[in-house]
Amino acid sequence: MRAQVGENQKRARFQALCESLRPDLLRFALWLSRDRTVAEDVVQETLLRAWKAQDALQDDKAAKPWFLTIIRREYARTFERKRLPTVDLDDLVASEEPSLGAADQQDLEEMRLAIFKLPDEYREPLVLQVLMGCTTAEIAEQLNLSTPAVLTRLFRARRQLRGLCGEDTTLDPEE
Amino acid sequence: MIDCNHYRRALLSEPRTADPEMLAHREICAECAAFTERLGRFETRLASALRLSLPAKPAANVVPLRNAAAGRSHRGRWFALAASVLVASVAAAVLWLAGPRSSLADAVVAHMAGEPQAWSSQGPVPAERLSEAIGDAKMRLRPDAGVVSYAASCEFRGFHVPHLVVQDASGPVTVMVLVHETARSPMDFDEQGYRGSIVPVPGHGAIAVLTRNRTLNGAEVDRIAARVLGAIQWTNAPSASH
Repeated sequence: MRAQVGENQKRARFQALCESLRPDLLRFALWLSRDRTVAEDVVQETLLRAWKAQDALQDDKAAKPWFLTIIRREYARTFERKRLPTVDLDDLVASEEPSLGAADQQDLEEMRLAIFKLPDEYREPLVLQVLMGCTTAEIAEQLNLSTPAVLTRLFRARRQLRGLCGEDTTLDPEE
Repeated sequence: MIDCNHYRRALLSEPRTADPEMLAHREICAECAAFTERLGRFETRLASALRLSLPAKPAANVVPLRNAAAGRSHRGRWFALAASVLVASVAAAVLWLAGPRSSLADAVVAHMAGEPQAWSSQGPVPAERLSEAIGDAKMRLRPDAGVVSYAASCEFRGFHVPHLVVQDASGPVTVMVLVHETARSPMDFDEQGYRGSIVPVPGHGAIAVLTRNRTLNGAEVDRIAARVLGAIQWTNAPSASH
């Protein structure tokens, strides 16, 4: 009986953890895959794998990097299994916001298109930093890169993105 | 001592850096301070753009309660587990809502309970009262922010912060300017009848935007938050501490 209660509490705790992280994990997967269906599948499979391996997570504070590691591996597996179809970026971005139309939303729509146009090696660290709140050291660990390499990619990501978005880049530094 | 090129390169890599050398350079270089301000606005837009709106959560969106039997197909496995997952989702939601939480969003929502009259004020508030409420937040609201119908300087987590109510087309919107807080990424919340968003403002802490209009979806709340943020003019250089 006591064991059953403990198991239920464990399930509820992990369930709550998944609930809280799922939106950002889905966004992350979407920015990675550029495909909503693929992103949904990757997140589902990630949560299933996480559930099976939940005993490996000792501290809830470490949950985000733990989930990020799983989701990146799962995405890589998906990519190995099948060649992802080419996605029309205009359609993808337009489908994100049914309420698009206001000037500020138009601005965001253009920026999203620009983000999708960034090379993968620049887009991923940028998403990890800004959306997922990862530090440079955490990004370096996730991507298996040195800290200077991550900083260079983040610099190039913003530099390219600002150019794509029509920002005033006259004061931006050169390479 | 770092030069302008080094400063801007480092800032484009880590806009939230709190490096003392970076701060020192920013204080003596007006051009780099202006660059920081512009990049801060870009970062706010970038954070909003990355936070794609998501569809309503499907029932089977979280982990199963028990492992699937070996040999079942992937899709069949999920159908078989959907019912138990739904039950677990409801249970988790109840636990999540009832459990102890102490986030910035919780504190903002809790603060609302102390000033219910703020929502019903019609305004506009006199300029002097607005100025008093803004206090040391080093900001001003542009006229296109809308009618400010309530303004107070409130104690919030140990600091006095501006608590404003702005009349939006969707109804009154509460804005709390939290220059002492640090938010690492934007966060939507839906608690105790309030929908809102905590939006990080690089170099200026964060702002909290809340509405009681239950017909608004997340994207519309984000739009309001972006509009309010766009109507704030900061009167000091951004701090490196946020």
